[in-house]
Amino acid sequence: MPTDIKMRAEIRRYDPGVDAEPHYETFEVAGQDNWRILDVIRSIYERQAGDLAYQFACRVGRCGTCAVKVNGVPVLACQERCKPEMRIEPLTPFPVLRDLVVDRTEIEARYEQHAYAPQRKTEYAGGPEAIDVKHAEHLCHMGSCLACMVCVSGCPAVEERAFDGPAFMLKLRHMAEHPADTGNRLEQAIDAGMLECFGCDLCTQLCPADLSPAQAIREFRRDMIFGGSKKHE
Amino acid sequence: MSKATLPRNTTRQAEGMQYGDVARMVHRFSGAVIIAFVLVHVIVQAVRHVPMFASANAAAPWLQTVQGQNWIHAILFFCIAFHTLYGLKLLAGELGFNIRYQTAFWSIVGVSALFALREMLRYAGL
Repeated sequence: MPTDIKMRAEIRRYDPGVDAEPHYETFEVAGQDNWRILDVIRSIYERQAGDLAYQFACRVGRCGTCAVKVNGVPVLACQERCKPEMRIEPLTPFPVLRDLVVDRTEIEARYEQHAYAPQRKTEYAGGPEAIDVKHAEHLCHMGSCLACMVCVSGCPAVEERAFDGPAFMLKLRHMAEHPADTGNRLEQAIDAGMLECFGCDLCTQLCPADLSPAQAIREFRRDMIFGGSKKHE
Repeated sequence: MSKATLPRNTTRQAEGMQYGDVARMVHRFSGAVIIAFVLVHVIVQAVRHVPMFASANAAAPWLQTVQGQNWIHAILFFCIAFHTLYGLKLLAGELGFNIRYQTAFWSIVGVSALFALREMLRYAGL
């Protein structure tokens, strides 16, 4: 049975049109111990700060829209359990539009730049293509990335070096393993800073979809050493 | 990669240890300790054995004591073991032998701690 608890949430507030600098506002919230972070944010929005900007969509950890940083760790707000003391911030290193909402323009541009659709030798014939069932399952799993940017926000290499981030590497690996794709995804990955990855697996630990971008990077690196980026060609 | 388990019931990620961060920091710290020890060791040996530095050696009789501290050797051996093993783990991953991050971290910490313990016991005469 859920029990009633009191929580203290410190939220980073920033409206570029009004505030010169970001600041933190503290809210006392009465809730239950089974609340998610999103429930806390929503309660604050409903009862204490109607001007608080935040975003969410599915509430079940499928869309990745509600990603925020809680006590310095990027998480999905709809999945992460509330805490008695929490500091809620927008995802870094993305520009903040307002409060907890970040600007995803650069993320979308990066996805477009990497051309995450199979680059084919011949034109797409239309209709389903024959593909090994096991491999299709593997590709589907890799393709289940939410693009929530939790891994990019948590990645220490993104913070310190010129590295696009684990999510983009995973997607490039997804394409590299796609039987219809003929693009040089390894070269794209290197250009996007793949070699800057520390191999720390933090992205694997944080990924809300149980994916391992670090493993995708390791597979690219193995291909670099032993050659051959196409296992299923 | 593990099978997809969505939707997750709940997570407590902000409460747990961030293995990658800790491993990376310890790896850097252990590297710095090794470099610092080698530099200090070379300087101390020069001061103690080169006739030109005899006056400095006479003025610092505690140098020998510092060099012989068991806890310093324990930290050094832990750092050497951790730095080597974690480096090998990273290399192995890139060669296709991946080990899960928690298993790798705790195994490496455990083995490194054994090296540190061995040094402590050696000084204790065991």
